[in-house]
Amino acid sequence: MTGTAFSFGIPGGGISAGILGLTLAVLVVFGLRELLAEPRAQRRWVLGAMRLLTATLAWAVAAQPRWLTERFEEREGQLAILVDVSRSMSLPRADESRQARARALLERWAASDREGVSVFTFGEHLEAAELDTLAESLPASADQTQIGGALTELLAGDGGEGLGAVVVLSDGGDRSELDVEAFAREGVRVHTVAVSEEGLRDDAIAEVQADPVGFLRRSARVRVVVRSLGGPGGPIPVTLRRDQEVVREVAVEVPPDGEAAVEIPFTPTRLGRAVYQVSIPRAAGDAVPENDERAFLVRVVRDKLRVLLVAGQPSWDQRFLRAFLKRDPATDLISFFILRNTTDLTMAGPDELALIPFPTDELFNEHLGSFDLVIFQNFEYGPYQMASYLPRIRDYVVRGGSFAMIGGPLSFHSGGYANTPISDILPVELPPAHGATGTVVEGDFAPRIADGMERHPMLELLPDPSQNVGAWGRLAELRGINRIQRVRPGATVLLEHPTVTLEGGGAHPVLVLGTAGEGRTLALTTDTTWRWGITTGGMTGDASAYERFWDRAVRWLSRDPALEPARITTDRERYGPGARATVEGVLRDARYVAHGSASVELVLRDASGEEVGRVPARTDADGRVAATLTLPERPGAYRVQAQLSGREGVIAEEWLVIEAGGDELADPRADPGLLARLAEATGAEHWDSPEAAPGLEAIDTVRRRSLGVRGTAPFSSPWAFVLVVAAFLGEWVLRRRWGRR
Amino acid sequence: MRSPSVTTTAITIAAGLLLAALAPRAAHALGESTRFQVRGVAHGGADVPRPNAARRLGVEISKRTSVDVLRTPGTSRLDDASIFDHPFLYWSGDAAFEPLSGAELSGLRRFIQFGGFLLIDDASPGAAGFDASVRREIGRAFPSRRLRDLPNTHTIFRSFYLLDRPEGRVRGPDHMEAIQVGERVAVLYARHDLGGAWARDNLGTWEHPVTPGGDEQRERAIRLGVNIVMYALCLDYKDDQVHAPFIMRRRGGGP
Repeated sequence: MTGTAFSFGIPGGGISAGILGLTLAVLVVFGLRELLAEPRAQRRWVLGAMRLLTATLAWAVAAQPRWLTERFEEREGQLAILVDVSRSMSLPRADESRQARARALLERWAASDREGVSVFTFGEHLEAAELDTLAESLPASADQTQIGGALTELLAGDGGEGLGAVVVLSDGGDRSELDVEAFAREGVRVHTVAVSEEGLRDDAIAEVQADPVGFLRRSARVRVVVRSLGGPGGPIPVTLRRDQEVVREVAVEVPPDGEAAVEIPFTPTRLGRAVYQVSIPRAAGDAVPENDERAFLVRVVRDKLRVLLVAGQPSWDQRFLRAFLKRDPATDLISFFILRNTTDLTMAGPDELALIPFPTDELFNEHLGSFDLVIFQNFEYGPYQMASYLPRIRDYVVRGGSFAMIGGPLSFHSGGYANTPISDILPVELPPAHGATGTVVEGDFAPRIADGMERHPMLELLPDPSQNVGAWGRLAELRGINRIQRVRPGATVLLEHPTVTLEGGGAHPVLVLGTAGEGRTLALTTDTTWRWGITTGGMTGDASAYERFWDRAVRWLSRDPALEPARITTDRERYGPGARATVEGVLRDARYVAHGSASVELVLRDASGEEVGRVPARTDADGRVAATLTLPERPGAYRVQAQLSGREGVIAEEWLVIEAGGDELADPRADPGLLARLAEATGAEHWDSPEAAPGLEAIDTVRRRSLGVRGTAPFSSPWAFVLVVAAFLGEWVLRRRWGRR
Repeated sequence: MRSPSVTTTAITIAAGLLLAALAPRAAHALGESTRFQVRGVAHGGADVPRPNAARRLGVEISKRTSVDVLRTPGTSRLDDASIFDHPFLYWSGDAAFEPLSGAELSGLRRFIQFGGFLLIDDASPGAAGFDASVRREIGRAFPSRRLRDLPNTHTIFRSFYLLDRPEGRVRGPDHMEAIQVGERVAVLYARHDLGGAWARDNLGTWEHPVTPGGDEQRERAIRLGVNIVMYALCLDYKDDQVHAPFIMRRRGGGP
């Protein structure tokens, strides 16, 4: 079987060809008028014909007419029936539902004798079913209507090649912008049976759009689209709640059988995950009350990272760190430097000095909780009556704050921190008294990356691990370290001294990371990392290593998600009751080494922390994991946690929301038009109700497959152009011979 | 001009001595090389006009502030990698000098670009030789920048002491000049012979008379030196919001 199409190769196609043809025709007519002066009729005819031939050939060469011939193969194939089992099929509940009408059709088809019929249900996924029993147990529970996904999966499956036609039985409520033309190219006819009704009454929150990240005490907005079907419209109050507490209520004017949008401002007041609900009142006769309320998650963070930097004396280490932190627009730096101490003689009265008292109470009592990160840089607490604040700093870290201690002559043991609450949270243990080896070790050294830490992001100066080790070797040497007694169990040593050892053996650490309760801590036993900037820059011309290191360090301490060793994500943020959530992620330990080929469990907990579901999974060699969780029916906020089987401790966590309605019921209208377009595009039939659908025997299952397109362009050859030139020259020669110009 | 009150100063000194006796311990750096050092610039074999000035500035910094100072000043050529070990350079001169070599210019550019601080001190204020050479070399090293007048409201005038204007051995111009890199003063040029006011021999005798203000002007010159070092180490720390009400009140501009 063949089909033919005609076209032009000239830019602009038929229009350009037509304009060109008209132009040439006018020129020929003018030329023929000039020939009327030729007295001999034979010559007039010959020259006229030559002119016409030249013009025609020139037009053909320029316009490039061509014929496209497509050949088809037609053969009888199998029949597949796809039955929509999404939750919208349960509507309307007051009258006979779409599900009930679909069931009646399936019962009729089940009585058919037709062979070669396979049946599937679809919602979010395609699942095989039995025609004989499907009508009895037809569900309406899937959380999405994915007609395109189901067809794609069907055609790509084992039986896809032998298919002749598909029948889709659905309400057409697919909101995923289905590309019907994509299936036309497959050659399989997609017949459609629409299950729809008139006069659905529903007021709904059709759409909620909000940024997933909000900033503490900064105004944010949520855009809410409200739709009214089958009602009078008018003002509909929209209420925004957080944790059932009303945040704001606004009214939106919705036209009858239309929709309107409103933006509701809100201001997050607490850090962390927040679940907000948007709701409208239930209208009289509302067929879908589930879509009167929707929820969204906001991760509330500070717009800027708040860092408290306290330095015991001005030094180059403090100077370069302050310069780095001040330069970062994402950081709000509060710094206090001890510019003089009790032994200094300023030779001036207080009014001649620009010095201010050290506001210990404001910093460590009133505002401590407002900081994301506290850095003690070469700072001793003793002279400033700070002993009473040290427990507060420890508690701040245990509750989730971050703390870094940077070395120097006033730091670690030299700062008097042994046996204080600060030593409880440090990732290193301090010597209880001056040991025989002293509290500091002088001398230049090149720190060594601890075994297995090459892939830790804080040490990543270059992306390639082997080049990264070389980059560390090119850094300027550091100078001197504070001695520690030992590394706290569970802490992670990233850098160590190449020659100095701990009293108990093993390399002396230079950079150690740890955790204390919910918080993170860092111990850097030197005060000369500034040399990775200016000194390295002076030697190599590249001073960027210093900023890269501290950028990563601050981001790790403040739990930047991009630097977390383990992450899991869900395929959506919001689900309907009982939906299936696909969870994927990468699981690595604190050293950023993959938990490869490990047994893990994905645990689902509600907002109060109670376990409501659990599914086992296994990681691949790179620590990647994927699993599907069946969600509970109860609406609310939930979190999925990944943990190693048989071990305590959460490796990674992600939040999700279960809504009563979800996306599937947000727009409950049937869309028979979509089904009609799908059928038309694939050369199939559309029936606008189950009652109108014929028996299975009458459904055409002949598959029409294209065998290719062949194009013919007779004037694309160089000989065509030679012919034009020859015709033109022939006329010119005759004109000259017969005495014409 | 605010001059120190003798009574207040005496009380402060007495209180300082008392507290010094009670101080828990002196800070010991993680090695000599990690301490702050005033490092002089050597160029072309020229004599340094105030050889004791850098050491004396170090002594004053150590005595008056919490900065841990290496009291033995060093000297480096600008093409020597050691300038990147001590990011504070002090370049003093009193006569014209030969142009910097290409390597010296390159070293100076990198030093400034990567965060170093250069204090240039004209020990012959009023004479053209050193000044002309400085401007020529600064122009060669930083062709896209030029020395600009530094307003006396800049952080340098309140980084430790509250000062109103620059002064050195001579009262000199009412401003200093500077090259800024971003928000940071990276090159500071004073035509007040600061080193002449700081220099003191091993017996404790001031080496040069200070005019016209005598010892009070010398004290202010020393304070300016302290402020310059404090600015190099703390940058715009004193511009942080928390300092503003205290400083305004002490300058008489606030409650």
